[in-house]
Amino acid sequence: MTSRLFWIAVALAVWAVLPFVVPRNIADLLVFTGIYSIAGLGIGLLLGHCGIVNLAQATFYGLGAYASAYCTVMMGLPSAVGFVAGAVISMALAYVIGRPILRLTGYFLALGTLALSAIASALFFEWDWLTGGTLGIGGIPKLDLFGFVLDRPSRYYFFVWIVAFACMAVARNLVDSRTGLMLRAMRDSSTAAASLSIDLQGLRTRVFVVCALFGSLAGSLFAHHASFVSTQSFTVDRSISFLLIPVIGGATSIPGIVAGAVFVTFLPEFLSKLGDIHQILFGLALVAVVVMLPDGLMGAVGRIRAWHVARRGSDAG
Amino acid sequence: MSLSSIMRLAGATALVGVSAFAVQAQTSGEPIKIGAIVSATGAGAGLGIPERNGMLLAEKTINAKGGINGRPIKLIVEDDASNPDTALSKANDLLFSQKVVALIGPSLTASTVAIGGVTHANKFPQIAFTGIGPAVEKERKCLAHILPPQKLNAQALLEYAKSIKATKIGVLHDAGYGNVVMAEIRLLAESYGVKLVAVEKFEVGATDTTTQAAKVKAAQPDAVFIIATSATPFRNVKQLQMTQPVVAAIGSSSYEYVNAMGPGADNVVIPEFVVGEDPLPHQKAFVDLYKQTYNSTPKNFEAAGWDAVHVMAQAIGKAGPNATPQAICDAMRGPYSGVLANFNFSADDMTGIPLSSFVFSKLVNGKYTRTPFRIAQ
Repeated sequence: MTSRLFWIAVALAVWAVLPFVVPRNIADLLVFTGIYSIAGLGIGLLLGHCGIVNLAQATFYGLGAYASAYCTVMMGLPSAVGFVAGAVISMALAYVIGRPILRLTGYFLALGTLALSAIASALFFEWDWLTGGTLGIGGIPKLDLFGFVLDRPSRYYFFVWIVAFACMAVARNLVDSRTGLMLRAMRDSSTAAASLSIDLQGLRTRVFVVCALFGSLAGSLFAHHASFVSTQSFTVDRSISFLLIPVIGGATSIPGIVAGAVFVTFLPEFLSKLGDIHQILFGLALVAVVVMLPDGLMGAVGRIRAWHVARRGSDAG
Repeated sequence: MSLSSIMRLAGATALVGVSAFAVQAQTSGEPIKIGAIVSATGAGAGLGIPERNGMLLAEKTINAKGGINGRPIKLIVEDDASNPDTALSKANDLLFSQKVVALIGPSLTASTVAIGGVTHANKFPQIAFTGIGPAVEKERKCLAHILPPQKLNAQALLEYAKSIKATKIGVLHDAGYGNVVMAEIRLLAESYGVKLVAVEKFEVGATDTTTQAAKVKAAQPDAVFIIATSATPFRNVKQLQMTQPVVAAIGSSSYEYVNAMGPGADNVVIPEFVVGEDPLPHQKAFVDLYKQTYNSTPKNFEAAGWDAVHVMAQAIGKAGPNATPQAICDAMRGPYSGVLANFNFSADDMTGIPLSSFVFSKLVNGKYTRTPFRIAQ
């Protein structure tokens, strides 16, 4: 236990010092890692605990970003209003859309969420009077906390990661609660769960709404960081990137979500130094991780730990 | 950078030494780092690759001529993959980690708007490969534009339509810079006596625009404007056997797009600046050097890359080696005679290109021929 506390303290110290010792572009990527962790967390909840493949997270990410952009730039309202508006719209949409489409299962449900993402992407593009279309909305103000302007990545980093930790706490609480037990029962055998009077569709819808909330929060945080939003940030490709986060890191593990977010933010950046073939290299890296580590990065860590314990046991024997 | 680009550059280095352009001179001291962002991959690659070629040739030439006050320049070129988020991340890296003294690029309007938020906030000198676009750019006075403002592109298209007595116009435009040019055309159409009978929009990088082209065909226009950075609408117009004259904005003028247009390129008229097959006298030296170096014919975006590096190098030289970013901005704001056109970066549109700079070329069998039509001063 003492050892565990020691490592938590070390991790916290590293987290607190990191943005001050790394170059600004790395601090920028750390901010994106935090934002993607929040969006990926929602996908991880659906994938790891409900067995649902959600390809619509860019929709809620976009709604959060556009709500923040529109409220602050077009209407001159405080940033908090944008966050709340984005969250309310996203959760309402997730509920209204989720009720009918979450009746589906497996591939059909994945295709349903993909359709939602494609429709939203088309609407973001067509409704340029609202979204600015491809040219987007620029000049979104930096967040201002009681006069302290978060105008640098090293400052915004702390805000983003505190929100990310809060979302992780909510997710952990949900998974460890009675609801979490029902979720796992539903994932492992929906027929058995239904026979125990678990409202499968209601349960799925609730988690889908939480996932949308996380997506919207991530989108609002992104808008205030980039100061610019356009349709190109909320395409189906972005939904696939979000899905990759739990797939690469490990869907049931919160550290796995962070590891997955690190993978999708840092790797393309480092590979881009190798020239125009960087997109092919990223694809190859992705295939390698999925084929060689089917349980994700955290699954591999778990296996290494189990191997160490087994080896220590055999040495003692 | 691809292997072929490296080989070409190696060739460029050798050729620069013997070209009439270069006067060998020694450079010494710490290189002056200039950052550049282009779309070398993705939907804007047809712009970004020629821009990069033009910039790298300018870098070699400037260094062969003694650099900036004896110090060599070093271009750090990054690819934004035609994505504004990536462009923003690259700009942060170049400005704050690589510590470049100035920024050139990016290739696309959305990325320019995104990066402008960082450079404007830091009063950092930047020359974009786009014309001034959305209203937010009007207040960004450290951001010069090497390509014409979208109002000028709109005027050039309408001037040509007027010259061929086309009064009913159909338009196919993309949602990026095409959207901004289209907004200007709407404002100007009446004054040119032009009626817009069909206006169809498609996404940047769209792989099929047949539906939009069919709607334009159904409206039976006298001429069709295509405003995009893509070959797709040209192919679709040809597939639908539309016989009206096609006039395209400069965005589709690079050979990367023309080669992809196939038969769709035939007889397309483009208001532009550099006709590599028949350059104007002040463009000839650049065109010859480019042909020797890359074994291909340069167009507008290669010249834009060349001019952007020269404008920035001149501004840095004028402001001095230890100048503040603001001082380089101030030094940049003035007249400059480039290969592309005569600029005046102190103009309100941060470009200052006169409408009479446009030349009008026609594509025949994938090659450009300069037409006699010019707009009077």
